Amino acid sequence: MTNTSHEVAKGPHHESGAAPSALSAHSIVKRFPGVLANDSVDFDVLPGEVHTLLGENGAGKSTLAAMLCGLYQPDSGYITRNGERIALSSPRAGLQHGIAMVHQHFRLVERFTVAENVILGSRDLSFRLNRSELEDRVSAVAESFGLPIEPGATVGDLSVGQRQRVEIVKALYQGAEILLLDEPTAVLVPAEVEKLFENVHAMTQAGKSIVFISHKLGEVVEISDRVTVLRNGRVTGHVSGRGTTDTRELARLMVGRDIELTTQRASHATGHEVLQIRDLSLNVGGVSVLSDISFNVHAGEMVGIAGVAGNGQKELAETIAGLTSPTSGSIAITGSMSTDRGPIHARELGLAYVPEDRLGMGLVPSMSILDNLLLTRDRNFVVDRASVEPEAVRLIEQFEIKANGPEHIARKLSGGNAQKVLLARELSGGRSATKLLVVCSPTRGLDVGAIETVRALLNDARSAGQAILLISEDLDEVMSLSDRILVLYRGSIVHETPGESAQLATVGAAMAGLSTEGNA
Amino acid sequence: MRSPIRIVFEQRNETPKYLSTLVPLISVIAALVAGALFLLATGYSPIDTYTNMLSDGFASSRGITDTLGLSTVLICTGISAAFAFQMNLYNIGGEGQLYLGMIGGAWAGLALGDRLPSFVMIPTVLLLGALAGALWILIPAYVRSRLGTSEIVTTLLLTYVAASLVDHFVYTPGSFFVTKNSAFPQGRLVPDSASLTAFGNTSLYPTFFLVVLVTLTLFWLVKRTEYGYRIQVIADSPRAAHYAGINANRTTLSVMLISGALSGLGGAVLIVGPFGRLDPGITMLGYGYAGIVIAALARNNFSAVIVSGILFAGLRSGGDKLQISTDTPIHIGVMLQGAILLFALGGEAFRRYRIHAVRTERTAQ
Ligand SMILES: Nc1ncnc2c1ncn2[C@@H]1O[C@H](COP(=O)(O)OP(=O)(O)O)[C@@H](O)[C@H]1O
Ligand SMILES: [Mg+2]
Repeated sequence: MTNTSHEVAKGPHHESGAAPSALSAHSIVKRFPGVLANDSVDFDVLPGEVHTLLGENGAGKSTLAAMLCGLYQPDSGYITRNGERIALSSPRAGLQHGIAMVHQHFRLVERFTVAENVILGSRDLSFRLNRSELEDRVSAVAESFGLPIEPGATVGDLSVGQRQRVEIVKALYQGAEILLLDEPTAVLVPAEVEKLFENVHAMTQAGKSIVFISHKLGEVVEISDRVTVLRNGRVTGHVSGRGTTDTRELARLMVGRDIELTTQRASHATGHEVLQIRDLSLNVGGVSVLSDISFNVHAGEMVGIAGVAGNGQKELAETIAGLTSPTSGSIAITGSMSTDRGPIHARELGLAYVPEDRLGMGLVPSMSILDNLLLTRDRNFVVDRASVEPEAVRLIEQFEIKANGPEHIARKLSGGNAQKVLLARELSGGRSATKLLVVCSPTRGLDVGAIETVRALLNDARSAGQAILLISEDLDEVMSLSDRILVLYRGSIVHETPGESAQLATVGAAMAGLSTEGNA
Repeated sequence: MRSPIRIVFEQRNETPKYLSTLVPLISVIAALVAGALFLLATGYSPIDTYTNMLSDGFASSRGITDTLGLSTVLICTGISAAFAFQMNLYNIGGEGQLYLGMIGGAWAGLALGDRLPSFVMIPTVLLLGALAGALWILIPAYVRSRLGTSEIVTTLLLTYVAASLVDHFVYTPGSFFVTKNSAFPQGRLVPDSASLTAFGNTSLYPTFFLVVLVTLTLFWLVKRTEYGYRIQVIADSPRAAHYAGINANRTTLSVMLISGALSGLGGAVLIVGPFGRLDPGITMLGYGYAGIVIAALARNNFSAVIVSGILFAGLRSGGDKLQISTDTPIHIGVMLQGAILLFALGGEAFRRYRIHAVRTERTAQ
């Protein structure tokens, strides 16, 4: 590939006569072992605009952003800043050019205060830190963009949304002109998303450029001036102009085909109580993680647990699955006590459990699909793989798992296919027929196509009369699938509402701990 | 514009099959080359030395039977290390468990005396040796499975205790293990009923076939049974094991006990075979430590342990004979053993990473 120098100024959306783009990527190629993460990608952002990178998981968004901020170096292609070619050998070099990234996973020191975190990495510090002066300076930067933060607070005590604000303030404090926000809304509740968008506007007003990364169509349409869609490492389209954007078109560019996410609840009749939880409490190391939780799930019913991560969801699931013993209270599955009796007993009563961490917990990464199917089943002393093989073949076909066969190693499956293997195993029953399915963030990290399939599978399971407890941080998912929604906040159920009449604002407020009332 | 070249280690998704064979092979060759340099530097001819070693180790009927005889104990300590390795447990105290196997085996042979027939005595001696080896790892195994205490330290430290124990039993006047009223301390020979006879005029004992059988059985156990399935789950993902209700503590304990028993069996093999008595000379031979190298070379693959055990025995016995046939120092064999370990571990880098050189800044121009 040859690029001549006159192409430097020609960004994909260059309007004749306009100033050169603040930052552009030109024919960027980045390869990882076995994947072409970025395939000749062109991208640019103008001063004062929000340019969104939209794409499914694995499309290459984070990789592109990492190269734009100096974390990775492209295999080929180059980057220009205000029309001039720059070499970004490290994130520090990126900062020197006024480019900063807020990563999907925050990089803050929990034991430090907000101000300490913000100044961390700045080079112009005098040897002795004047705490109050420092905090004033940090506050001043934050307030000028409408970002309320408390500079003296310890980061470990902050909510996820507040931590994100600290990351943004840190970038601004370091003099960033261009901010790369990698999936900033993934960790936020609706009210926090709105707040973030206000901050983004304040920043663009001040002439900053924002590269916004997301895979959620709704918010992309709301915030973006321009959208660039990535699929499998390639740019599949550019859409410009706010308001004119059609989400269907974006979805097609993103997925490569028309997509219809089921939002309707399958009609069904609910039956007897399959899961009964009474006064369940759990303390871990003296800290109350779950307190006084009571609810039931009926046959043919899907109960959704909404909440921001870290409010006790994982512990609730693991307690029901028999992996953790509660401090007090009881759990009964199909009428029999399962409290304190371990995962095998719970499974014998009809439990199936799809943990959030697919490859870390639900599947054994180095084992084949076949061996993974055996994980939660009865095995004889001499493991009889031959007799399970036909079933493995059948499940691979039925669940449309893309694999070379039952011997395919779990680690080499894509996220969506790994999740299908897990669901196939859990839905097909092991030690007894599945009556209760506990699923945690079943579509997290999956591409839209796989999300469609997984949700359809859950709906089918409910129609088949299984009781389903859906624990997810994805509020849209809980809202669109559940018959009943419970909101978990700091280990308690603070809100309950029928799925059909649930209000996004009310549920969102409960998730943020703003409402402690009962029924909406 | 010239830009500097950087060596990049890129993690492989998957190790190609050929590398799994190639890397150990190249490790051995590289070790031989390193040994040759050492020989040259110290004024010996590498070609002569290696030719001698080869013919003494493998290429003569005397050599090959000696090698197989020696490999018997080395395969024991090799699978002992490999069995623990496969669950990411590092039993590096096979040496001490081997001593205990000798002590236990000798005790059984001496205590039961001549009263029992051979077909009872031999299995009893072997079993007691294995049991004593397992006993020696019991504490490290227990604290590891309950408290997570590093087994590396505990098993190694106990080796020194085991060596003192051997000395104690041999050098204490009137000890059960030594000949009474003997002018100088020497272990007592076990009765004939507890001794096997070697094949013909060789030093190859039938225990070799037993040990090969044990190795293949363990291979089957790991590949085909519920026990092996658990081991694989725990080794790869302790959280998945927890999820599936597999008791990792119990499995950890049992794997370590079996590992200890295998080294102990190696000690007992020496009692029914070439040694016939508790011999303090064992502490100079390092058979247990050799097991670690053998396991590393075999990449913890049980069937490969047989091959690398024999290879190693050949190097050792060939090396030992050098001292007698030529004046090359005996330590060349030991040195090669160390060099092989180093290169085998270094070779891991090639299995796990693709290594290539790049210019730090490549552009599309
Ligand atoms: N450090 C890395 N090493 C190897 N592969 C990677 C690495 N980072 C990303 N990838 C791969 O590159 C592709 C793009 O990933 P990423 O940029 O994270 O996608 P996105 O942010 O759009 O979800 C994926 O297939 C991913 O597995
Ligand atoms: Mg990403």
